[in-house]
Order: sequence, then C-alpha cells, then structure tokens
Amino acid sequence: MKPDALRGHLDALLLATLDGEQLHGYAIIEALQQGSGGALDLPTGTVYPALRRLERAGHVSSDWSTVGGRKRRTYKLTQAGQRALNAERDAWREFTTVIDGVLGGGKWAQS
Amino acid sequence: MGAVLTGEDVIDRYVTDLGSRLQGSKKQVRDLLTETRDSLTDATEAHVDRGLTEREAQERAVEEFGPVREIANEYQAELAVAYGTRTLVWLAIVLPLMHMAWEYGRMLLIGPWQDFATMPPAWYLFIAKANDLTSGAASGVALVALILGRFLARGYDTKLLARIGAAIAIVAVGVVLLGNISIILATAHLDASRLVQSSPMVVATAITWIVIVRLGLLARRCLSCATIVV
Repeated sequence: MKPDALRGHLDALLLATLDGEQLHGYAIIEALQQGSGGALDLPTGTVYPALRRLERAGHVSSDWSTVGGRKRRTYKLTQAGQRALNAERDAWREFTTVIDGVLGGGKWAQS
Repeated sequence: MGAVLTGEDVIDRYVTDLGSRLQGSKKQVRDLLTETRDSLTDATEAHVDRGLTEREAQERAVEEFGPVREIANEYQAELAVAYGTRTLVWLAIVLPLMHMAWEYGRMLLIGPWQDFATMPPAWYLFIAKANDLTSGAASGVALVALILGRFLARGYDTKLLARIGAAIAIVAVGVVLLGNISIILATAHLDASRLVQSSPMVVATAITWIVIVRLGLLARRCLSCATIVV
C-alpha cells in the first residue's frame, strides 16, 4: 500500500495498535506490519514523529522503561486516546459502509 | 569483528547524519536519536533472524527507516513544536510572575504613584497602564495558544503549528520589550532620578531585563527551529 494513502490514517492505526497494550517503537512497527499482513509500506521512521504528535494531543503517554534488558521509550493509550480511537473506529465503519454501498455492488462492481 | 564494525557504521552514520540536521531542546533531540538507534538495532536483529548478514540487515533497517532528509524534516517539525510549547509555557508563567513581583516591590519600596509630590501626567499613566497590560496580554495569548495547540495537534500540519507558535512567542516578547522600553524612556523623560530612586528596584529592573532577554533568546531559537523545516 502506498505511503501517501496511509499517512492520513497513521494516527488511527497507531491508536489501534496501542489498544490495550504498552509497546515500544519497534514493537508498534512490527504490530502494524503483522496486522496488515506486511501490506503497510511506510518508512518506519515516520512512526516516531507521529507518536510524538499523538502524545502532544494527549492521546498517548510515554515512559522510559527497561524492556528485554534495554532502556526503551514505551507508549500507551490515555483515556482521551481511547475515546479518540473509538471515534475513529465509528467514523471508519460509517465511511466504509457508505463507500461499500456504492463501490462494492451494482454497476460499479460489475464493470 | 570487522564485518560487525562495518555494520555498526551504517547505523552510526545514519544516526549522526540525522542528528546533524536537528535543532531543538538537547534532551528531546537525544531522546529521538536514542529511540532511532534502538529501532534500527531492533530491525537489524529481526533481519539477522530472517537470515541476512549483519551488514545487509543494517542496510535494510536504514532503508526501511526512510531517507534521512525526509525523516529529519518530520522530526524537526516535532522538535520545533516542542520548543515552541516550552517557550510559550515560559511566557505564560514567567511574565505575570515577573510583573507581579516588580509591582509588589515598587509598592513596598517606592510607594503608589499618588504618594509623589506631583501626580505623573496622564500620558505617563497611560504608558504605565499599557505596560502593565502587556505582560498580562502576552501571557494570556501564550496560554490560549498552548490550549489551542493541544486541540489542534492532530488536525493541523505540525510545521504550520510550529511556525504559528514561534510567531506568537516572538510577537509576545516583542510587545513586552516595547512596553518596558517605553516605560523606561517615559520615566527618564519625566524624572530620570526615579529610575535609580531605590537600589533594590534597580536590581529588580535588571533581573526583569535579564528575564526578558532570556525569553527573547528562547523565542528567537523557537523561530529558528520552526523555519529550518522545509
């Protein structure tokens, strides 16, 4: 999948990846890649500024902790982040339902 | 051993190149680079586990991380916003505290203006009042910008937010600077002896200027951080 198409959804994807988890940067990248079956083709370096942006918005909090014997910055969702994720999921379901109603059937699907 | 060192050089070179392009709080830059190095090391280990040599794994990790110029640009935007936030926090907290401390000192050591033999003219009181308002107004604007910045964090371009934050900081410090220069010139014009009437207040005024200069330097660096982002 093209990086430009993903960029607009990166925040929501990161929030979803952190749902119920506390992960460090590379674990988030791995989870994103595994969750998409390897289809997410985004420069991994863009994840870190996005995490900072989410932290700035109060949707994610971070702490330095020791993971696997190494000191790492780990991230988790805040309550506001959980609410934002729920809103993103609702908006996405509504969007896909509407678009699928047009693109997923009828003359568009048959052409 | 040689191969490992060569492999490490790939990550070192990337992290050093990235670091040389970043400007902001030293701690924030260090944190970002530490995280970058960790991420590249993790990716290398994962690629080695999949059968690549150390060198190949390092090169793949760096390639996946992204072109250094593009990544530096995204990092820099975040660093600029963080520096802007820090500067606005300083402005929001320090300006009213500094003004209150100075006014309290003046009331204590010099007394209210009404206690002078002759009441200062209206134009002087207008300048004094305007100067009083500048600190409060600059602090208020900084506070509003901080609150709005949090709400707009995800919806607006980080580079734009960084530039707006820096512009607000520069204007806020500029207004406070103008207010302070105006009151000093007005006092010197009215009665220069009042400027040195109380030694503790001379010291307080000097401290005020040190703080204003410090805030000015912060605001200037803030602008520099925001404008090197392409």
